[in-house]
Order: sequence, then C-alpha cells, then structure tokens
Amino acid sequence: MPIKKKQKYFSMKTVTGLSLGLIGFLLPLFFQFDGLSYAGHIALGIFLMAAVFWMFETIPIYSTSMLVIFLQITLLSQQGLLYSETQLPEAAPEHQSGNEWLVPADAIQDGKVLVIQDARKYKPLDVNVLETGEMTRVESADISADTRLVADTRHKLVGYTPPGFSVFFGTLANPIIILFLGGFMLAGASVKYNLDKNLTNVLLKPFGQKPMFIILGLMIVTATLSAFMSNTATTAMMMTVAIPIAMQVSKEDKFRIILALSIPIAANIGGMATPIGTPPNAIVIANLTQQGINIAFGSWVALMLPLTILLLFIAWTAMRILYPPTLESFKLSLKGSFDKSLKAKILYALFAITVLLWFTEAQHGIPSSMVAFLPIVGLTVTSVMKQEDIRSLPWEVLWLVAGGIALGISMENTGLAMWLVSSISWDAFPQLLLLLVFGFVALMLSNFLSNTVTATLLIPLAVSMGTAGIAGEGFSLVITSLVIGAACNMAMLLPISTPPNAIAMSTGFIKTPDMVKVGIIIGLVGIVAVLVLSQLYWPLIIN
Amino acid sequence: MSDIYIICVEDEPQVLDVVIRDLAKLEEVFPIEIAHSADEARQLISEIKEDGNRIGLAICDHIMPGDKGVDLMIEMQKDPFTEHTRKVLLTGQAGLEETIEAVNKAKLNRYISKPWKPQQILEVAVDELTTYVIEHEKELLPFMAVLDQERIQEAIRSKGYV
Repeated sequence: MPIKKKQKYFSMKTVTGLSLGLIGFLLPLFFQFDGLSYAGHIALGIFLMAAVFWMFETIPIYSTSMLVIFLQITLLSQQGLLYSETQLPEAAPEHQSGNEWLVPADAIQDGKVLVIQDARKYKPLDVNVLETGEMTRVESADISADTRLVADTRHKLVGYTPPGFSVFFGTLANPIIILFLGGFMLAGASVKYNLDKNLTNVLLKPFGQKPMFIILGLMIVTATLSAFMSNTATTAMMMTVAIPIAMQVSKEDKFRIILALSIPIAANIGGMATPIGTPPNAIVIANLTQQGINIAFGSWVALMLPLTILLLFIAWTAMRILYPPTLESFKLSLKGSFDKSLKAKILYALFAITVLLWFTEAQHGIPSSMVAFLPIVGLTVTSVMKQEDIRSLPWEVLWLVAGGIALGISMENTGLAMWLVSSISWDAFPQLLLLLVFGFVALMLSNFLSNTVTATLLIPLAVSMGTAGIAGEGFSLVITSLVIGAACNMAMLLPISTPPNAIAMSTGFIKTPDMVKVGIIIGLVGIVAVLVLSQLYWPLIIN
Repeated sequence: MSDIYIICVEDEPQVLDVVIRDLAKLEEVFPIEIAHSADEARQLISEIKEDGNRIGLAICDHIMPGDKGVDLMIEMQKDPFTEHTRKVLLTGQAGLEETIEAVNKAKLNRYISKPWKPQQILEVAVDELTTYVIEHEKELLPFMAVLDQERIQEAIRSKGYV
C-alpha cells in the first residue's frame, strides 16, 4: 500500500534530520573557527541544529523554537551551566623598563591586550608589540603594576557578555508577541462571532457576477482579511465561499483552477500588508526594534500596501491570461447577517477602535503593541472571549516567533552573525545586487521552509551587516530587512510553500504545475517590484 | 499515520457488490473491508485494531445468519476501539423495536432502508466520514478531496490551524 511507503519515508526523514541536527550542534565543539568567540561556537551549534530541525521538520517547528530557548538558558545565559561560575583568568604584566612590560603570549591578540575591570568585564587596550615569544614584550603608557590582564584571549568570556536567562524567556513577552496576541484575540473573536464571513458577504456584493470580477473581489477581500487574521483561517473561510461557485462549473472548466488558486495567493500576499498579517513581519520588526529602529503600524502599511496591491493585480492578470474564463456570469449566494448580540457589538467596537489606534500611532504616539493589549483585555473582561476560546488561540505560533527572536539575540551578541557575514567582502557588491541576493535567497528558501523560519535565519545576518558597517556605502538596515521579509511572503511556488497553498491543493481543483506557473510569475515580478520600491519609494517613507 | 477503514457487513454478495461499487470513490483514502457475518466482522475489527488502524465507518445489514446487525453495532458501541466509529444500518426488514434499540444502545448515526437510491450510500458515507475526521483528526487536508469540502474548510477556519 502506498501509505506504508510513506511511513517509512517519514522515519527515514526523521532519522536523517535528527542525526544531521546533532552533527550540526556538535560540529562547532570539535572545530575551532578563527575569529569566532567561544560563545559564538555554541551559538553556531544551536543555529545549525535549529536550521536542520526547521528544514526537515524533524520535530514540530514550534518545539524547535522551545529547544532553542532551552539551550540558550542552559548554555548561553549568565546563570547557565557554562557561565554561572566563570571568571576571566587574570595575568599580571611583568615590569621591564619604562613603559615596557612582559605579558603572556596568549594575552595578546591583534596588537591588543584586554584589561580586566571586574570578574566578567574587560576593556581592550592597544599596545606596541616589541618582541614576541612565550612572554611577549609590549610597550604601553596605560599599563601599570596593578593592571590585571585577561590571561587568555580565547577565554569564553572574551567577546561575550552572557545575558541573564530572563532575556531569553523575555522574548515570549516581546512587544511584537503581544501585538500578535492582540491580533489573534481579534481574529479568534471574529471567527467566533462570524464577523469574517459576514464582512466577506458585504464586501463581495459590489463585485457583481462577471467571473473575473468575482475573482478580483475574492482576492481583495481575502487579502484584506488576511492582513488582520491568520492567512490559513482566511483561506479556509474564503474556500467555503468559493466551493459553491466551483460547483456551478463543470469539472474540466479552468475557472475552478482560478478559484482555488486566487484565494491562497491573495491570502499569502495580504499577510504582507500589516505588521500582524503574518509572523515573518514580526521577525523583521523585532530585529529592527533591537537595533533601536521602530516601525509604526501605519508606516508598515504605507511601506507594504503598494506592493500588496501590485502583486494582487499581477496575480489576477496572470491568471486571467493563463486560464481565460468561459462562462458569462455566476450566481453568488451571499447569505448571512451580522450577529447583533451585545457581545458581538463589543467585538465590533473593539476591533474598530484597535485598528483606528494602530493606524494613528503618529498622532497619539502609543506604540501598536500597547494598543494591542486593548482587545486582549477588552475581549476577556467582557467575556466575549472565554477560557476555551483563549485556549484555542494559536499559541504555538507565538512560541515559534519567540524562539526566532531569541536565536536572533544570540546570533547578534555572540558575534556569530557578524562572523558569518564578514567572510565575504560585501562592500564590493553594489547595494542593489546585495538586496537582490538577499531577496532571492529568502524567496528560494521560504518556498521550501516556513516563511517565519526563513526570516529568522536570514534577518540577523542582514542586521549584523548593518551594525558592523561591512556592507559598504548606502546600506540600509531597514530596507534590507524589509526586502527579506517581503521575499519570504512572496514564496508560493509549491503546495508546501505555505499553509494556504496546501489547503488549495487539497481541494483537488488544481495540480502542482498550475501553482508553480503563477508562483513563478509572482516571485519574479515580486522581487523586481520590491527592488524598485526599495530604491524609489521606501526611502521616502522611512526618512 | 494510521489508516481509517470503512467496514461493510452484509451477507448477500450481490448487495455487498453494489455497496462497494457505490463507495469506490472513497477507497483511495479510506480502505474498505468486507465481512459476511457478525462473526467475520468481529475478526475483521480485531485485525484492524492489531495493525494499529482505526474504523471510521461501519455499514451493516440487520438480517444476517447468526448475530443480527443491531447486536453487532451495540457491541461496537461498548468497545472503546469502535465507540466513535460512525454507524450506519442498512436494511429493509428491521422492525420498530429493533430500530429503536439500535438508536438508543448503539448510538446509530444513520438508517438506510432498502432499496436505496443510487448515490444515497455514498452521500451518507461522505457525510458520516466528514464528521468522523473533523472530530478525530488533527490534519484534515488529506481528506478534503473526497469528503465534504465546505464542512472541512469550515472546521479549519474555526480551529484556526493547519
């Protein structure tokens, strides 16, 4: 039976994933990489293991995130196994004459010694190296008899100040996580009170009965809803609208293909439009916030909306050309009426107020994640969302994002990200080419991996290029991160690329080549469009 | 992932053939097994259990040599392994008493009287299996193509996950 074969394949995949992950984790322990701190080696191990587990889905992607946080608190935190008892090894310089001192050879690296300030802190000091040997003779006016130097520049505290474990746990309460939680509460309540369905009925009415306009309507409504709700739930909901339409045409009619394709595509694209639309946006924003760059809710929309509209239009046109509809008109049975109970009205009001506050951040200055707490509190205080509703929220998505943010922290502060990007001389690259490379890699990866995971793996690299200043003239941290984030969301080539694609595929209305055709067009046009926006339009909004 | 079986219990080979033919569309996702009597059915159920698979739907005739269909269904309802199996009674001759017993004690889900209309068995099977997978399966996508798409999409929407 074919199913038995599948089982075997899965276990093979699990075994491969587990062993590769373990090898990835242990590799940095057996190899010394030049220029990478001790902590950087550990972070590299965690990074490789997480990357393998995320790629092979050896364990669920959210539990990989949990594992990342677990390893960080046990291995990389101040209170963890490796760092709880550690102090910098001390060495006293031997006075020779005048400003000349003898120091152990291990205490010098690249013409610098490290002057100890307390058990875990040091300050680098430039010295003149006069004569090397087991004890090296150096010259410096800043060394005195009571100066204590770090005896071994390869010690694990060199190049890394371990943060307290709460920093890693804290990623779960990161403002962006709270922003998402607010979004989840609104979306969950909308589903509970059928706001999403009723809104769809109202919004679809003006699009009439001509096939391609119905499609345009479906796409616009899907994109709008998925900008605030999960792309998956939106797709499933819109499919319940599309399936009765599909039943009106014969099985061979290509209109079924357009119907089943337009919805996941619009859901994927719509996720780009707001910070809460899809998790990769969270990774972009969280990483930028750590660098002190805040992007307001409204600015994000201003940055991304033109791209969203353009891609929707391109997808619509492409499908129109690839699968021209044969039928003249359709009956669209739009039934249902808005829930008029008090609780539903509370939801409508909270939804409206929250979105309004999100878009007017520039006027009132309240950060969007603080605003997001309004629906969290409002919907629970009024019992619009009850205990069982809260339990049914997609908490694992928050864990996934939190693990991604935590991994980003360690890649940054152990110097790992920096080490990874510094091996290539990026300043030889023109900026546009750099963006193209990042965008293309993100697009390719995220066609096979979860979009969130792709963003998690790539954005810390972009961030460290920015902070290290190795990217050459004109590099913008914000723009590079946005390009990666957008590219992650434009990957919709295969059924496995995104959950909405998988849903569309499962209907049996389309075959993989249909998805690939439209996916390629969106991917390629999308990358070009992003690059154009990044040069001409985004700089206007950011500055 | 374990398989979800459909079992058909019917003593008349001709009727069984028709049932199987009507359900052919489902077979690529839900393997179909047949039994000619309640005893054979018990053996079949224990084989499916041993292989680590489940039974999503049992379609059962009432009048058979040996134990009657209703008795078999009551037995299945008491066994935790088949408690959640959707149960359909297919018969022309079950009396009111027996039918009431089947509804009360076997939690019978559907009753199809002979002769049935073409498509009726398939419709009932699709409907019942849709209920079964929505209640018992985490991953619903593999069933979308053969079952009730609208209901499954709706379930995905309200559960909010894939």
